[in-house]
Amino acid sequence: MPDSKTAYKVKSNAFEFSFSKEEIESADLVKISPNEFNLIKDNRSVTARLISTDSSGKKVTVEVEGETFDMEIKDELDILVDQMGFSTATTKHVKEIKAPMPGLVLEIDVTEGQALNEGDKILILEAMKMENSIMIQTNAVIKRIAVKSGQAVEKGQLLVELE
Amino acid sequence: MQKILVANRGEIALRIMRTIRKMGIKSVAVFSEPDRHSPHVLFADEAVCIGAGPSNQSYLNGDKIIAICKELGVDGIHPGYGFLSENADFAQKVTDAGIEFIGPTPEAMRIMGSKLAAKDSVKKYNIPMVPGVDHAIDDVKEAIAVADKIGYPILIKASAGGGGKGMRIVDRPEDMKEQMERAISEATSSFGDGSVFIEKYVTSPRHIEVQVVADKHGNVIHGLERECSIQRRHQKVVEETPSSVVTPEMREKIGDAAVMVAKSCNYVSTGTVEFLVDDKLNFYFLEMNTRLQVEHPVSEMILGIDLVEQQIRIARGEVLSLTQDDIKPDGHAIELRVYAEDPLNNFLPSIGTLTKYQKPVGEGIRVDDGYEEGMAIPIYYDPMIAKLVVHGKTRTEAIQKMLQAIKDYKIEGVSTTLPFGTFVFEHDAFFSGHFDTHFVKKYYTPESIKEKQKANAEIAAIVAVKYWLDQQNILKPVEHKTTSWKRRLA
Repeated sequence: MPDSKTAYKVKSNAFEFSFSKEEIESADLVKISPNEFNLIKDNRSVTARLISTDSSGKKVTVEVEGETFDMEIKDELDILVDQMGFSTATTKHVKEIKAPMPGLVLEIDVTEGQALNEGDKILILEAMKMENSIMIQTNAVIKRIAVKSGQAVEKGQLLVELE
Repeated sequence: MQKILVANRGEIALRIMRTIRKMGIKSVAVFSEPDRHSPHVLFADEAVCIGAGPSNQSYLNGDKIIAICKELGVDGIHPGYGFLSENADFAQKVTDAGIEFIGPTPEAMRIMGSKLAAKDSVKKYNIPMVPGVDHAIDDVKEAIAVADKIGYPILIKASAGGGGKGMRIVDRPEDMKEQMERAISEATSSFGDGSVFIEKYVTSPRHIEVQVVADKHGNVIHGLERECSIQRRHQKVVEETPSSVVTPEMREKIGDAAVMVAKSCNYVSTGTVEFLVDDKLNFYFLEMNTRLQVEHPVSEMILGIDLVEQQIRIARGEVLSLTQDDIKPDGHAIELRVYAEDPLNNFLPSIGTLTKYQKPVGEGIRVDDGYEEGMAIPIYYDPMIAKLVVHGKTRTEAIQKMLQAIKDYKIEGVSTTLPFGTFVFEHDAFFSGHFDTHFVKKYYTPESIKEKQKANAEIAAIVAVKYWLDQQNILKPVEHKTTSWKRRLA
């Protein structure tokens, strides 16, 4: 069951916040122009700017101190729907590891069929004169290695497949 | 000079070409295949593609660049910084081809390019140097004897070194053998020269450098100091001038020392003499950079001179129009290097496309950049996007202006060092001026940036919910009307 006090959940790129109705009602927010709002929170006075909203009004982009946040609002009904399992987002089992950036494969430290533990190094990708170790995030077995050392790869290109 | 080729790319190539145009001279750009859309190519009067992306197939191909100069009737080459700028052999070839190299002589570059030769060159001028040896050393016993004399910790350094490579700190004699072997091997593999030497390790050092300007007629002046102690990975990120610890007496002494270093190698053009300053404000000669520095704009802003213009005038053989008495600082300037790096992830390169790119504008704000919205950051080169430079009447005013400029600088699509800049400029240690090259290690953690982002994200979240609720209230009567309209239709 959702926390009885949580009336709204708001998700941004990196953070998630839960608010009760009281917390939202008591927030000291004033509108200072059609798309600018001043909020006093913990004695800090901050002006936020509304950049855009989608047609549902639940996806809102807000700028605070020069930083832009894409926020997605969920109300009690949305939260309930999520709880009942209609939501499609589930923890996906990682099957493939792709290049996080374009670069050059410098060395490969694994072989096909090898069992790896979380945090083990798979390969080194060189980009902009820097060597970046690509680590594995879960325990897994290497099914296939899709690149060779010395090969240039694009962002998102398949590096290894996992069992 | 009628036509100058700029053997560089990105922001520095553009910055140099602006001065070239201002002086009524034609500019020639060279570019690699992925740089076709770069602003420096669009800005130049003439542009020539010199090869594929990797620098050794394009921007480092000196022979090809010289051939282009001959073909296009170029009479001067400006190397910028990085790439071929400190390559004495290239400078020699340029000179031999009858083209003016806008920079120092190959001899001066050779002397200052080797730390040991540089020490030897300045020895007779009584310039303070870090206690240690002034010759290459490979005998562990001798190294231990030297270390006993000057006291631990000591630093093993590669003569040809740079960027922290071939450098080792040794705290006790037992570690000397192992660390020397590693330093020699690293120096051999990185620079092809295994010479190492030993210096006392200065534990809380500041990095302060002095701008020098020298003409071909023996006139040398200095253009005050730059404070460059805020570094990450042995690389500068924030520079300012004047330094908050340099007193007028010290400024005169360190300036004179820099002028003597320049004279010791018959230096010509602009250059920078780097010093290490300890916690008691003793300064020691470190090395000389024989080129235009990345951070030259802070000096330009407080001195009101264009250093690239000075370089071109000097190359043309003009006598310096400035004397030491003309060097009067006006206010305070700070630079932040904006790199495509993720300060939350160990400053690793963050590659991608600039989906949004808007520069801050305003009085006393200067942005030297080489990108526009929609451009991708190529993987082949240094990930610097821009240099953000501000000028204020006082240091405090400059810091405040910088913080506002960072807020107004909108970059999306890649992570940048902008939030790290906010962290530095809001930090008490930076504000007070009491900091050294260990600033990042001592004070910075990714969490300090994350906490601030989270606080701002929470504000954004509250605004979003409030706004959404407000909109629903406004829409209600409209919804009601729509319903009755539908009912009438049915």
